[in-house]
Amino acid sequence: MNRRDLFRIAAGAGAASLLAACAGPGGDPAPTTGSGGDLSFAHWRAEDKEVFEQIIAEFKKSKNFGVRQDISPSNDYQSTALQKLRGGSIGDAFTAFRGAQFLDIAKAGVSADLTGKAVLAGYEPSLITAGATGGKQLGIPYQLVFNTPLANTDLLSKAGIGEAPKDWQGFLALADRLKSQGVTPIAWPGGDAANAGQLLNVLVVNNAPTDDALGKIETGEHKVTDDWFLTVLKQYAELRPYFPDNATGTSSDAALALFAQGKAALLATGSFQIAGVRKLGATFPIDLLAPITTTADKAKYEGVFNATFILGVNTRSARQDDALAWIEHLSDPAVAGVYANGTAQHVTVKGVEYTNADLKALAPWLTRKTALAPRFQFTNLDIRGAVENATVQVAGGKSPEEAAEAAQKVIDQKKK
Amino acid sequence: MKFRLLLFAVPALALYGGFFLLPAVQGLRYATTDWDGYSPTFADVGLSNLTEVVSNDDLFRNALTNNLKFLLVVVLGQTALALLLAVLLAARTRGSTVLRALFFLPTVLSSVSVAFIWKFVYDPNFGLANAVLDTVGLDALQSAYLGDEETAILWVAVAQIWFHAGQMMIVYIAGINQIPAELYDAAKTDGAGRWQQFRHVTWPMVAPATTLVIAYTTVQSFKAFDLILGLAGNPPRSALDILSTRIYTTFANSQLGYAAAESIVFMVAIALVTWLQNRAGRMVHG
Repeated sequence: MNRRDLFRIAAGAGAASLLAACAGPGGDPAPTTGSGGDLSFAHWRAEDKEVFEQIIAEFKKSKNFGVRQDISPSNDYQSTALQKLRGGSIGDAFTAFRGAQFLDIAKAGVSADLTGKAVLAGYEPSLITAGATGGKQLGIPYQLVFNTPLANTDLLSKAGIGEAPKDWQGFLALADRLKSQGVTPIAWPGGDAANAGQLLNVLVVNNAPTDDALGKIETGEHKVTDDWFLTVLKQYAELRPYFPDNATGTSSDAALALFAQGKAALLATGSFQIAGVRKLGATFPIDLLAPITTTADKAKYEGVFNATFILGVNTRSARQDDALAWIEHLSDPAVAGVYANGTAQHVTVKGVEYTNADLKALAPWLTRKTALAPRFQFTNLDIRGAVENATVQVAGGKSPEEAAEAAQKVIDQKKK
Repeated sequence: MKFRLLLFAVPALALYGGFFLLPAVQGLRYATTDWDGYSPTFADVGLSNLTEVVSNDDLFRNALTNNLKFLLVVVLGQTALALLLAVLLAARTRGSTVLRALFFLPTVLSSVSVAFIWKFVYDPNFGLANAVLDTVGLDALQSAYLGDEETAILWVAVAQIWFHAGQMMIVYIAGINQIPAELYDAAKTDGAGRWQQFRHVTWPMVAPATTLVIAYTTVQSFKAFDLILGLAGNPPRSALDILSTRIYTTFANSQLGYAAAESIVFMVAIALVTWLQNRAGRMVHG
């Protein structure tokens, strides 16, 4: 190796280390007294921009400041929001994904404690537990989504299916009947890791021995080679004939299109995609239909919900009072109604009137027995990835046992 | 006098030191800690991060394997395709300028746009590839492409080759146009056919261009981060994970110390591959 090679290596070392090193530890919190200009509201939902602009316009009328939306793509937001929030100049008020990101933000001390604040009285207490950690309410989950497959009820009716099956055999029979009618029973975006994992929620909730069983895989108390998780993987194998051919390469957009075009009866993601389905021109009625993975008497839950888009006030912001005022504004039932109906998302705010036809149709699910989505109990992306990858591999033809063994090996390396 | 001249280098040295050397040294330091990226304190863990990455991390090993597969396919495929296109289009014949522009066109696109285009091509339900196979009666060959655990990374390599081959074609065309016409005349006089002219004249004479193409292609292959994320989403499944996406995922997992250790191994891998290429280049071209 000559001197030139050594210089190359030194340059490579610098470049490779630059990313990891550019953010140093520590840094003092910003002052907590006010400044002028628009408040920064950091979030990842570009599709909500217009509705928020409408809400901001109303907010501005009663305040002497506006709100600027700092929107990042969800992937970027997942990875970089915490570093941006620490700077204090972005995200006076911010949102967080439920699970790893929220817990990281909480751990970093970036979320102001909202415990005891009057704003909490406007929310259903049982729906905002995902914003609490360590005995403090550090954020308020704003959206209420159902991570339960969407169903084209027109296609179900044509196949002579009146009501949702109450057990696993009933679900397979439903899928068979749909297939015999020339319809793809389940559109599933196996090629899109983020959305492929939504199906795991409903396949786990009734099979799992406890409600926090997925989280216990991460800590090592459960293994994916345990019988209950092998049952989950075997059920993925049983669903193979009912997914489209080559489903493991299907993107989220393609699965959405299959459902919206009436070629697939179920879309195995969740209610957060209803707006997208409608945007593609679908006019059929939509309901939710969760596969019950056990016998009827053993089923604890009818579906899955998630409380996310967790609103928080940035402790590094110089304008914490203003940020709280913005969150209070969003928490007003009338304003929350504008958001909900404009984005086709249910919200956790009490007393909201849903006028959107889809939200009205799904309103009964607000009181049905649904479990908080277990997939977000994972806080380590590698472990979550290993588990979800196993499900995709099984759907692609790998044996459940082999997929479980391979996933468990990674989990053992990565668990805390 | 010499000292005064050195003063002119101070701004550059300050910038280089502040924005390059210092972070590099800090990166090495973080690699020996369990820093999560935001806590004010962290613990020293010595070389355990590095040991773990090298000896016990299946995900990192999987990413390295994927990256090497990707590198191999892209280097071979892109070099061969670029050279073929250059040989066919080097002479200014009717339509060659248009064809050169067409083959060069993908290079001007952003990698995100390229990812979107190939996502459409590879989609098993609505994609071009399966539709074409269906049309020509080869539907048995239809595939999940990016969803196929065994071959997914190779399909991304195809997209990468399409993306950059045109650029490398231009490098080769420049090299071919530098070859004196007398060499071809002499070869023809000696009775050399087209293949022999290529083998004994063109190929040896474009050797410097080949070295450049391979070096550039190698760097591009390690930098395929945005193409992978565009095609596979974030985090990518293990079948599509390469070293750069692996480090990014570790960073997103709030394991900055471990990500720094992975970066060091990443750097060593690049250095090693570059060194091997240089050695191989010298052995082949002298």
